[in-house]
Amino acid sequence: MKAVLHKYWRIWLRTASMAMQAQLTYRLGSFGFLLGKMIRLLFFFAFMAAVFNHVETVAGYNLVETALFFMTFNLVDMTAQIFFRGVYGARRTVTEGDFDFYLVQPCAPLFRMTCSSVDFLDIVTIVPVIVMTGMVFARLPVLPWENYAAYALLMLNGVALIYAIHVLVAALAVRTQELESAIWIYRDVMFMGKFPVDVYAPAVRWALTVGIPIAVMTTFPAKALLGRLSPAWIAYAFAITAVAVPASWLFWKDSVARYTSSSS
Amino acid sequence: MRTYWVAYQIALQETLQRRSTLIMDRLGGFAVVVSLYAFWTALIGDKASFLGYTRPEMLTYVLALNILRSFVFTGRGWQLVGEISSGKISSYLVRPLSYHGYALALDFAQKTVHVAASIVEVSLLAFLVQGDLFLPSDPATWFLFAVSVLLSSLLFFFLEFAISTFAFWTSESGGPLFCFELFLQFAAGAFFPLDVLPLALRKALEATPFPYMVYFPVRIFLEKVTPLEALRVIGTEALWLVAVFAVAMTIWRRGVASYSAEGG
Repeated sequence: MKAVLHKYWRIWLRTASMAMQAQLTYRLGSFGFLLGKMIRLLFFFAFMAAVFNHVETVAGYNLVETALFFMTFNLVDMTAQIFFRGVYGARRTVTEGDFDFYLVQPCAPLFRMTCSSVDFLDIVTIVPVIVMTGMVFARLPVLPWENYAAYALLMLNGVALIYAIHVLVAALAVRTQELESAIWIYRDVMFMGKFPVDVYAPAVRWALTVGIPIAVMTTFPAKALLGRLSPAWIAYAFAITAVAVPASWLFWKDSVARYTSSSS
Repeated sequence: MRTYWVAYQIALQETLQRRSTLIMDRLGGFAVVVSLYAFWTALIGDKASFLGYTRPEMLTYVLALNILRSFVFTGRGWQLVGEISSGKISSYLVRPLSYHGYALALDFAQKTVHVAASIVEVSLLAFLVQGDLFLPSDPATWFLFAVSVLLSSLLFFFLEFAISTFAFWTSESGGPLFCFELFLQFAAGAFFPLDVLPLALRKALEATPFPYMVYFPVRIFLEKVTPLEALRVIGTEALWLVAVFAVAMTIWRRGVASYSAEGG
């Protein structure tokens, strides 16, 4: 087991290093992408701060609490983007025949498909996100350690749930050689996680908790930290991930079993 | 003119042919609108108005955003970057047509489909939330709004075109384009009305062409400006368009002059 983990760690490190070198080759382009990501982050933060110049609370949350939701969303989302970036090119990997090579390599094809393309810019961008999250934490009152533990565990749970969605999208690419927009739909729907789920109407809130569980990924950790999430919902969050991850693996295996190569 | 009409028709058919991609694109955009609507609803709460916008006005602002995003923010920048980088642009340069005219024809085909889809979405959302919409009673407002939006669309097209044209000199113009598009979305008021910003920042943004793409057209529609003021806005927008068009064409001419290609 240790040897296997070591092997995959080396593969990840090597591919991450190659991705970084490729991005450093294109300095102007990479700088533009990096600046764009920072602008998006800062503008949203400025927007929230500006909004709270005019109101005391939004859906019962004050500025610091709303910022906590926003930063938690960014942490979960960016962590997933760093590690599962490969899925964004899944359809191209399949249609250009690269997936055939993945299948014959001594490495799990799912790992190659999802984790072996690292966006170095996201690693750079997550640093100010962590700093800003620290600033938000510093403005929160002292909370019981259980809340912090629940926050950390639910964040990891959220990343695992996002992983399941990425596996699903990768499997769809293998199965259909189409649906390149599927990952972008996920990105757009994730936009809803920027705000606490409490701002939505009950039907939308239910859809975001049970249907496409964006709330479980982004809102639940922050709510648990603030002590506003019941143990039943915490249990639900872990249960849904415990079902989603194995289900996504099964779907992946079934899709690969049906794969007949689409390249020449 | 017939050439561009044929290009428009073919592009229209192509867009409609890729129905699953179109539906997924629209679903993603719809999610963004729902989140913005929910957030603004939470902000207004029980208040009669927020930042000078009544509830119907704010609902109309958010719904208008969906239509304007579909009509204004659909340029051909990324395609141009790709065509210059791959050398495909050569085949257009030797044809007896204006590349800008051709790109505009393709762009308007895309706009036609997306605006039609966005109107359906907006009607659906307005029905679902059962909120009152603000609809101008004065026909002149509709006319001024239409002129303003048409100019906005051309302004975005040529601004994006000017930045994309840098691909003639560097293969890294995608980065600055990405950065520009993200900045534009905020600076144009495509996420929130600029009224939320501090006065100094708003005044600074108003000195740029960006707010003329979304913020001012929606204010015209909501009759937040007098007809005389609306004419002044449209006049300024037209001046920006002339300036941006001149810059875009200058960069294009220099880019084409410096462009060289080998092979077939």
